[in-house]
Amino acid sequence: MTDDGPARIEVRNLQKRFGTVEALSDVNLELRDNEILGLVGDNGAGKSTLIRTLVGLHQPDEGEILIDGKPVTIDGPKHARKLGIGTVYQDLALVDQLSVAENMFLGRNPVKKLGGILPVIDTERMQEEAERILSERLDIHLDPETPVEYLSGGERQAIAIGRALVSDPDIVFLDEPTSALSKAAVDHVERLVEELQNTGHTIVIIDHNLEEVLSMTDRIAVLFQGRVVDVVDSDEVTRDAIVAMMVSGQPMGATESVGESDSASSPTA
Amino acid sequence: MSTISSLRSSVDDLREADRTRMMLFALDNLIWPILLVTFVLFSLLLPEIFTQYRNIRFLLYTSAGLGAITLAEGICLISGNFDLSVGSVAGFSAMAAALFLTEWFPGMPGVAGIAVLLLVGGSIGLLNGVSIAKFGVNPFLQTLSTLIIFEGGILVLSTQSVYGLPASYLWIGGEDIDLPLFRPIPLAIFAMFALFLGMWFILTKTRFGRAVYAVGGDEDSAAEAGIDTNRVVILTFVISGVLSAIGGLLLTGFNGGATPTLGTSQLFPAFTAAVIGGISLFGGRGNVLNSLGGVLLLGTIGAGLVMLNIDPQIIQTVNGIVLFAAILLYTFVQRYRERLLSDL
Repeated sequence: MTDDGPARIEVRNLQKRFGTVEALSDVNLELRDNEILGLVGDNGAGKSTLIRTLVGLHQPDEGEILIDGKPVTIDGPKHARKLGIGTVYQDLALVDQLSVAENMFLGRNPVKKLGGILPVIDTERMQEEAERILSERLDIHLDPETPVEYLSGGERQAIAIGRALVSDPDIVFLDEPTSALSKAAVDHVERLVEELQNTGHTIVIIDHNLEEVLSMTDRIAVLFQGRVVDVVDSDEVTRDAIVAMMVSGQPMGATESVGESDSASSPTA
Repeated sequence: MSTISSLRSSVDDLREADRTRMMLFALDNLIWPILLVTFVLFSLLLPEIFTQYRNIRFLLYTSAGLGAITLAEGICLISGNFDLSVGSVAGFSAMAAALFLTEWFPGMPGVAGIAVLLLVGGSIGLLNGVSIAKFGVNPFLQTLSTLIIFEGGILVLSTQSVYGLPASYLWIGGEDIDLPLFRPIPLAIFAMFALFLGMWFILTKTRFGRAVYAVGGDEDSAAEAGIDTNRVVILTFVISGVLSAIGGLLLTGFNGGATPTLGTSQLFPAFTAAVIGGISLFGGRGNVLNSLGGVLLLGTIGAGLVMLNIDPQIIQTVNGIVLFAAILLYTFVQRYRERLLSDL
């Protein structure tokens, strides 16, 4: 991680309302090159809304998004993919009736021209690619023709992660990638995230398990009722301090001084 | 070996899973054994006559128009939508094209009439699709209103049947094709098979087709994967309108002219055929080739009842009973399916 140059993604004064609910209010956040940023916060704090806004599923009411210092308007997931962003959604976004390979390549199936004119899905190439990505990147061996409704929760989650890697993105958003996984599979995802960072990727991860967040990330952004409470280095924060920020909506220094009532000589920052 | 895949690594488990998958395959293609049993049953009730060339020809020929309209309904159902207007679109576009060729622009070639017919059907489909996708109108209400508008529209155009159409217009729905070493076969039967194969190809082999299944299976997921779901829904309804119009063309050829009631009685059989062919009412599931099985089953039952000298008025009731039985059957199949899936 370096602080040199513009952030990979920067959001400035981002606002998003749904009716009268302010889902994001005045969010300012930087995603530095090659870092792993954790997003934590209670349900409804705005984590998923932030991700969905960054991939263009929601358009912000106000504020800007900058990628590598340049302001961008992101039209939708396809555009986000072109900008180098891959996403694993909280709901996995899999279509039960379609196969493993079809899900991984949904919306971007490789196409070949039948008889030189008729564009049809290149099923063979798609299945080979799907199988390769799953086995090389995730060490999972599945028949790419299997409908995903036949698969277990963990396997489904693996497909969703595999799909985010199909477009070979530089930036990967993971919205609760481990919620349906066993302990061993969680370790596997942690290793994958680490490997993604080692190969130059920049990662944003939403996770309810704070131990996982602390061990995986470089920095943690705490959200509370649609705003960013504080962004802290993962090495310099404890689980309890994060919980305090999540609950109180006050930044780290403030919560500690609240905890220690009126003691002005708090030793920690 | 990863931990995830090792969850069911033992050989016994795999064999069990294979058996379950075979069972699922059988459930998904249930229409064909049902069709076979029904056909054999009528062949036994009507020994010799039911399996005659004349009867098979009649059975297939009367199925052709319904087949196209069933495809029109089927693609909408697969996309998670609903189209009540398929029959009235068939009737309206057939009547508009017939008047175009006989009264509005007499002397125009049949192919111009076919172009008008397809344009009218596609435009009504576009109207349905835009309302549903862009304005968020409920598909049931939207297509109910187009059903009523164009059902009435047929009578505004003409309360009389229109005959005297060019032979080239009636050709595909009305003419026989001479085959070497075999008796002549109506072209409409080939048209029906070609339409089913074509739609099967589009739905299974192209990006658009897979997107139709994705949108029907889970519209939010499809959007998250980057599919323009509005575009898919609009295009689905346009295709549905065009297929309904082709149904109207085939029925015009079959009747020798455009009758005001040509499409009226087609909606429910089309719906029934799609559903008994295993196309899910909830979207995202079903094979259009199996809905051909549904069309042929209705054709078999219809032809069988006629030959048993049963009052034709009863046929609609029988179709209703078939639909009811199919829905009951598929409700049980669906439950059984879910149980099988949870065992995998």
